[in-house]
This record gives sequence, C-alpha cells and structure tokens, in this order.
Amino acid sequence: MGRKAKFDGTVVSTGPGRKAKKQSDPTFPKGLIEKTSGPLSRHQKQRAKKRLLKKNQNEKLREPKAKKSKVSKEVVKREKIQSSADENEEEEDADETPVEETSEEEEQDNEEVEQNQSLGLKSGPADSDDADSSEEEEENEDQDDSDDDGDDDNLLPIEKANKRLKKKQEKERKLAEDEMKDIATHQDIFTFPTEEELANPTSLKDVQQRIRDVIMVLSDFKTLRDKDRPRVDYMELLKADLCTYFSYNTFLMEKLMQIFPLSELLEYLEASEVQRPMTLRTNTLKTRRRDLAQALINRGVNLDPIGKWTKIGLVVYSSQVPMGATPEYLAGHYILQGASSLLPVMALDPKENERILDMCAAPGGKASHIAALMKNTGVLFANDINQDRIKAVIGNFHRLGIVNSVICSYDGRKISSAIKGFDRVLLDAPCTGTGVVAKDPGVKTNKDEVDVQRCCTLQRELLLAAIDCVNARSKTGGTIVYSTCSILPEENEWIVDYALKKRDVKVVPTGLEFGAEGFTNYRQHRFHPSLKLTRRFYPHVHNMDGFFVAKLKKFSNIIPKKDTQKDEEEEEEEEEEKEKDSE
Amino acid sequence: MDVVNAILEKNVNSNKSISVHKDLELEIDEGTLLASDYNVFDKENLRSSQDTYLKNLTRDNVQVLINKIWMLQTERVDEAIVGILPKPVFVLPRARSVPKPKPLTKWQQFAKEKGITSKKKNKSKVTWDEELEKWIPKYGYKKAKADEQKEWLVEVNDPTKFTNGEDPFTASKTAKREKQAKNELQRLRNLAKAKNVKLPRVGIPSTEHFRDARQLAAATTIARASTASVGKFQSRLPKEKDAKDIASHVPGIKKKRKEAPLSVVQEKQRNKKLAESILRSKSTILHVDAPVPSTKSAKSSNSGGKKKSSKKEGKGAKKPKGGKGKRDLRSKVGGRKRR
Amino acid sequence: MKRLSEERTKLVFEKLTKYLGDNLKVLIDRPDGTYCFRERKDRVYYVSEKILSLASTVGSDHLVSLGTCFGKFTKSGKFRLHITALNYLAPHAQYKIWVKPSAEQQFLYGHHIAKSGLGRITENTPQYQGIVVFSMNDLPLGFGVTSKSTADCKHADPMSTICFHQADIGEYIRSEDTLL
Repeated sequence: MGRKAKFDGTVVSTGPGRKAKKQSDPTFPKGLIEKTSGPLSRHQKQRAKKRLLKKNQNEKLREPKAKKSKVSKEVVKREKIQSSADENEEEEDADETPVEETSEEEEQDNEEVEQNQSLGLKSGPADSDDADSSEEEEENEDQDDSDDDGDDDNLLPIEKANKRLKKKQEKERKLAEDEMKDIATHQDIFTFPTEEELANPTSLKDVQQRIRDVIMVLSDFKTLRDKDRPRVDYMELLKADLCTYFSYNTFLMEKLMQIFPLSELLEYLEASEVQRPMTLRTNTLKTRRRDLAQALINRGVNLDPIGKWTKIGLVVYSSQVPMGATPEYLAGHYILQGASSLLPVMALDPKENERILDMCAAPGGKASHIAALMKNTGVLFANDINQDRIKAVIGNFHRLGIVNSVICSYDGRKISSAIKGFDRVLLDAPCTGTGVVAKDPGVKTNKDEVDVQRCCTLQRELLLAAIDCVNARSKTGGTIVYSTCSILPEENEWIVDYALKKRDVKVVPTGLEFGAEGFTNYRQHRFHPSLKLTRRFYPHVHNMDGFFVAKLKKFSNIIPKKDTQKDEEEEEEEEEEKEKDSE
Repeated sequence: MDVVNAILEKNVNSNKSISVHKDLELEIDEGTLLASDYNVFDKENLRSSQDTYLKNLTRDNVQVLINKIWMLQTERVDEAIVGILPKPVFVLPRARSVPKPKPLTKWQQFAKEKGITSKKKNKSKVTWDEELEKWIPKYGYKKAKADEQKEWLVEVNDPTKFTNGEDPFTASKTAKREKQAKNELQRLRNLAKAKNVKLPRVGIPSTEHFRDARQLAAATTIARASTASVGKFQSRLPKEKDAKDIASHVPGIKKKRKEAPLSVVQEKQRNKKLAESILRSKSTILHVDAPVPSTKSAKSSNSGGKKKSSKKEGKGAKKPKGGKGKRDLRSKVGGRKRR
Repeated sequence: MKRLSEERTKLVFEKLTKYLGDNLKVLIDRPDGTYCFRERKDRVYYVSEKILSLASTVGSDHLVSLGTCFGKFTKSGKFRLHITALNYLAPHAQYKIWVKPSAEQQFLYGHHIAKSGLGRITENTPQYQGIVVFSMNDLPLGFGVTSKSTADCKHADPMSTICFHQADIGEYIRSEDTLL
C-alpha cells in the first residue's frame, strides 16, 4: 500500500522510484576478486596485529639483521598496497560514479600493480603509467623510511611499520582523489545523443539513464556541458525523455518544468506515479475516532491516525474488507476522503450557527466535513451544477446524519442571484486535476492549453460569484476559501490575484501549519505579495495529492465598478500574456 | 495517327503483368465477385499520392479477382464465354431487419390447430362460365359485371329463394352488405387480437376496464353528473363521495376552496392534534393485539391458556364511551354540529 | 416545497407511530426550535423552520433536498419510509431487535432476519410491530416488522423468520439513485 504516510511535514525519503530499477553491481572475473569485505572489525584488527607481531618476531629470529628490514618492508608494502587498492574499491562503490568502465579500468590497473609487486618483478616498458608512478613512490618511501629509522630507533618495528603504512595510505588517498577529480573534470560523462539515436527510441531503461545524465549535466552545466550544445538543447532533450518515460504530453511537462526546479521535478513525477494511501475521515456527528478505529481494527483493518494536524483523519494501510461497504461506513461513522480534502475545510474553519455555502459540493466529502464542524447547527448550503453527481451528496448527507443542509443545483456563477449573505463560502473549484495524476492518469495526456484556459475562466467567474455571496459584515466570518486539486499557478495564484484586483478582498493566513508557500513570482507574472500566505501541497513533499488552498477575507460589500473599457483592456492584456505563455 | 500512337504508347507503358504479389492473400468469394484485401495500407504512399496509390491498389486487386474468375469452369453461349459462378460463401448483410411473421387470424389459428390445409395454391383465379361462355374471374369488378349480366332477370315468386313480398334486388344487396360488415368486424377483431387490445364485450362495459378503484370512482362520478340536471337528483349511497381528481373537469361537483396557508405555529398545533388522535386510536388496536394467544402456544397449552386469555380479554375490554365511539373521527374533523 | 395536506400528514404519522409509538410527539414538539414536514415531488422532508425559511429563496427547479428525507408517497397513495429516516427512528424507537454479527451482513443485503440471527429483542414486542434493527454494538442497521411476537420467538424454529426486512443501510449503496 504505497509509501508510509507522513503528513506531519517531515520530508518523505525519496529513494529510487518504482520504475527506477537499480543498476546491478558490476561483475568481475573470478581471478580478480580479492577476499576482503569491508573494514575490519576491532577483534579482527587486533588479531591481525598479533599475527603480524608474531610473524615479525619469527623473522627476526630466523634472519640476519641486515636482511631483516628489507623483508619486513616487503611484507609491509604488500599489505599497504593491498589495503590501498581495497580502499579505492570501497570509495568507488560508495560514490557510485555513473561511468562504471573507468572504475573498472582503474581497478584492473591496481590489480596489475599489485601483481607486479607481489611477484617482485620490475615493471617493464610495456607497463602502464600507474605502475611506474607507484614504483617511484616506492623509492621515495624507501628514503622516507630510512629517515624515519634514524629518527625513532627506539620504536618497535611494528610501530615503525605502522607509521610507514599510514604515510603510504595518505599518499595513496591523495593520488586517488586527484584521479577522481581528473575523471570528474576531463572524462566526458554524457555525450549528447545523435539524431539517429533520438529517432529510434531505445528501451525505457536507457531513457531513464539519459534523464539522470541530462539532469546531472544541467545541475553543473559549466563543467559538464558539451561545448557545441546550448542549454536549450539539453532542456528539450530532457523534456522529450520525461514525456516518453512518464507518458505526459509535452504541454503539461513544460508547465511542470516551469513550476519545479530540476532537482524536484523528478521526485514529483515519480511521486505522482504512486497512489496516495487510502484515508478516511471520522464523522464526529456519530462517533469518535478512537471508537471508530477500534471497531475497524476488529474488522481486520490496519490503520493509523493521519498525523498530528488533524484529529479526525485515519489512514488505511490494508484491509480485509472493502472499506466502502462495512457496516460502520453504511451507518455513517466515516467517509472515504483524501487527506488533502481535509485542508480546505480546516482553512475555512466553520463555526456553529453560521450560514455556509459549498459551491461545488459533489460528492459531498468536504461539505459533510463542514457540517460536522458546525455540529448540525446553522445552515449549510451544498451546491453543485451536476444533477447526477448531486445524488451522491444527498446519499452521503443522509448517511452521515446531516440535518442542517439545503442541497441545490445552481450554476455556481449564478448562485449569488438566488442566495446571498453567507458567513463563509468554500469554493473547491473544478480544475484540470494536475495534482491528482496518480488517481486519474488520463490527465497526463488529455489536458492542453485550451483546457487550462477554459478552467481558468470558469474558476475566475466562480470565485467572483463566491465572493459576492459572502456578507462582509458578518460578525464571525466573511471568509472565502478557494482550493483546487491542481498545481498549475494559472489555476491558483493567478485566479486569486485576479479576485484581489476585482473585489474588496484580502488574502489571510490559512491556519494550516504546513504546506509550501504560494508563488508570488512565476515566470513573467508578479502576483500580489500577500499570495505568500496561500498554501500549496505536493505529493513528493507532503505525501498527499497536489493541492492548493487560499483563504480570503472580504472587507467590504461594495463591488468596485470600473469602466467597462478599462476592463476590456485588462482582459486583452491578460490574453496577450497567455499568448506569450503559450509561446 | 499521332493520337493513335500516343494511345498505343500509353498502353505499352501501362501494360502490367497479370501476376500480382500480395503479402496476405486476398480472400475471394467468386459467387458474389467479392475480393477482400486485409493488407495494411502503405501509409507513406497513401499520404503523399493518395489517388495513384489507391488506383494501383485497386487495379492489382481487380487483377487478382479476374485471375481467379478465369480459373473457373467456362462454357460458350452464343459466341460468348461465360464462367459459371459457384454459390456465394460471403453472407451479405441485410439493410433492414428480417420482417416479423404476421400474426395469424382466428381462422388461420383454428385451421392450424385442426390441421386444415387449404388447397388454394393450385386453384386458378378464373372459372369457365357455361352461360356466358367466358372465363370469369372469381372476384373483382369483372365478376360483378358478369353477375349483373346473368341476373338481369329474377323470378319474384320463387319460394326457395325469397320470402314473399320482398324485393329480391334489395335483399341481395343487404345480404352483401351484411357479409361485408361481418368480414370487416372479423378483420378488426383479428387486428385487436394481434395487438392485444381488450375489446368490450357486447353490452355493459366490463370491470376489466377499471383496473383501479379510482378509475371506477371517476367513471361513476362522471356517469352521475351526465344528466340534464348535472346529477342533482341522482341518489347516492351512504357515505359515497365524488372522485377527487376529476373535480375540475366535471360540472356540478362541489369544488373545495383551498385552505389558507397555515402559519408554522398553527401547523404545529394541527400536527400535534393529529398525532394525539392517531396515538389514541392506535393504543386500542395495540391493546387488542396483545392478549391474542399465538397459534403455537395455543396448540401447546390446553384449556388453561385459553382461560388466561379470556381473562385478559375481559380486562382489556373497551370502556363505555357514551356514544363517542360511534363517531367517525376520520370523516369529520371539528365543524358545526348538525341537528 | 409544500405543506402536507391533512390526509397525507395523517398517513405519515400513522406510519411513524408504528415504529415510534408515543415518541412521535418528540418529533413534532421539539425543544430546539420548530420542525416541519414538507413535501416535494412526493418526498417528505423533515426540516427545521429556520432552514426552511432560508431555503425558500432557492428556486424549485434547483432545490434538490433539504433537511432529512423521511420517505415518499407511492403511486397508489401510501406512504413508505426510507432508510434515511433511520436517523430519527433509531433513537426514539419503541421496540428494537439486535442481530448477531453473523446475521448482520445478511440483513444488510436485504434479507429477513431468521431466528438464528436474533441476538436480543425488546420484551413483549407484539406481532407485526414496526421495529428498528440494531447490531450487537448498537449500530442502527435498518428497520422492519416483526413476524412473531417475543413470546413466539422463544419457541420458533431457528430458520423461521422473526422480522420482515423493510429497509436497511445497505440501500445507501444498493439503490443510491432510486432512494432519493
């Protein structure tokens, strides 16, 4: 059941996604593999020390003094080289350099060196540079050793050996680091694919690899770039690859690339592939969360509270019974609802004995939440234009035991002509649904510029209508909450910004403890600075569906009238902006 | 000559081989001269040069079909070579649905049941008339004319044919008309039977027409009002009421004035009263129910049980109500007392 | 939205008394404000007067539902309670039946309650009495009519029906479209 829910704002660990299969470790021929595994444990080290000591002593006994140092040196050298080679190996493993071949080569080189030395052969002219260099080092070290001998004669041979070993290790490490740098700087990690390669799409795995490579190049463009290629080329390639790999259409991917920095983009896309865990909301009109959880656990449901931020949400990990058909569900003790759906209602913060309107209520999850918070007092108007979907509202309301509701089916844009003077209005506007890609993968491909524009126009009209419905002189409220399940700024910040210009409203803090701040700058747009107070929610950060919540407060009932001409001009300007966008 | 040459040249160029290569063999049904090509279109060609591509494709396919036709058995009929087509395999789809069989008439059904088969099939439509020495059709205007010709003179006093004093011509005319009417009636009856329409039997309309008590009530109400005095002097059964829904259509029925809308408080009062009255009446019913012994317990228990029940009955018997019990609460709610 | 005529009110009340008995008065005379019965498209709604006055501005074409739907008048002029009325029936019910967990599911699929599924029953329930059905942990599941009195239940065959099914909360799923 998906990943573990961590709704309390902590960042969810993002490993490789479901699709990102880890590349298996490289395999080496048997002859090359040395039997060393990881750093030695303390006991092992001690034992090794003892062994060494014993050996040395034995040799001391056996051999004359003149030879002693040489032999011991040789032994030590062997040890050193071996260990350094091991270290190299370890480092490489840890770094996971994308290019395996180089590391392999290096290893082979090391191996060669080792062999040469262990056999006591002098490296011939055919030997590689590495071997030569190590030879030189050896000589150097010999000198060093002799110096050391002069300095600390009173040291035990083993200690001397230890010192020498350390020095050598240091040098080796330095060399290795330099080498790594060289590799990083000089070696071309990613070569731009030719057109033929692009024309013939390879396997998904290759595409994924390419995506990673391109992102790496883009993250350090100066050093890693191909000199002949401009950044645009890389971006285009990345876009095309992402489109094929995640099966988005170009338009949506372009939008997403504008919203997210590259580092986040991949995380977002991968998180969007996974369904969010099933969550449910306790109906506080009928039961308490603890009782409900107990009852459900008795039915074999594995669940947990969603997080600290809500006292009524539960997340279901697994269940032996269908969650939409348990007797508790039928008796209206809970309703299945996404975690993100709790947010706008919490932002709305309904109070008892108020008049509240939910403009786009179907299927009634959020509206019933409002009614539960009102404790069945006051009046709740649930509106939805769709006659079929509103049936679900009726069913849910009756099931959940909500009695203070009026359910009507107006066109939201015209509702202010029928009823007005609400204390609070919730507008969960119809949107393109780019935040809930996991639920409806069709969004990835079937949305384009026209859809977004259509949604925008509708959302603007709805938001203005919602603002008109609210009574600014209400003692308790006068607030409007605007929310969408889309992450496009066109459908969110832009709409709110538009409303700020058209009506006497201001953005107020949503009262939600977490969530990313809304945009104030988005490409060429500069929104009102107060839009920082709105909240955005992302699947990869908050582990819930992509969502946007803005809370507005109305401070006067006057509808500012501008000259119609001026309005039109503005509209035109916006149209132009849009056109620019699309370009 | 130039023209001819040009045509010839063209022909030379356009002469193509009769053998056609196809990736997938065509499915050919010689019976209907149908060849179906399941090969995939070459998209590039189709897009770039649609006309020529389709033309060539068609030619090839027709060539294949014609090759197949030439392989059929042929024979020579009047200087022409004719191929004999086998029976078609391909089932051509029908444009319209298969017509439903006509419903049988009453006679046809009867005949079918009894196994009566008419020998109409080989009957000719004309008969030889000895008198006129002519072939006369069995029906139609020619037959009528022939009859006129034959029966231009009828003997009046023929006791076998006509009763005395009757005009033989009118008699035959009425007889014919009656025959026609009967036939028409039978035709309509058959139609009604086929469409499952209920026909009234002769006489009073049957109760089958009033599927609903309300329909019957409506009918009686209308019938009562259908007199010269709009039903004013028609007697009524005790407690008989007019049908409700049709009050606006039937004259003479008293129309109830609409009540003034109650205020919420009044409505509440009314509801309270109603509830109390219902509860009162309900409680007696419930009481009656309680002491009745169940069938099972009655069986299992002997006379003792019965005694017990009778005792209870005595206990729960209605109190005398001083004439109030006879009043029908449902029919009258409040109002002026009638003396 | 219109007022119920007197006959129709009577029909509704008669039906409700089958389940509520004297508690019917609780619904009519409430301490927390005036509540009314209103009729729309043959459906009967029970709603607070406050909400009713606010909803009066909503056009009849656009109004879908308000308050609680109690039931509907059938084409033949009878009143039938819907499962949605359970909200009010359950707390005020006069006679109750509790069913065992094993029979719960059966009842929720629309079956009658057999003797074997009977957990508890209110003492001295008469035959053919309207009752509200609960699960053993006091979850209201629906309502029905007893086919046997409490006394008869004791001697009844385990497979014999104790209570006829009338409505259950499974209908929220089974007949979502037709119910409301």
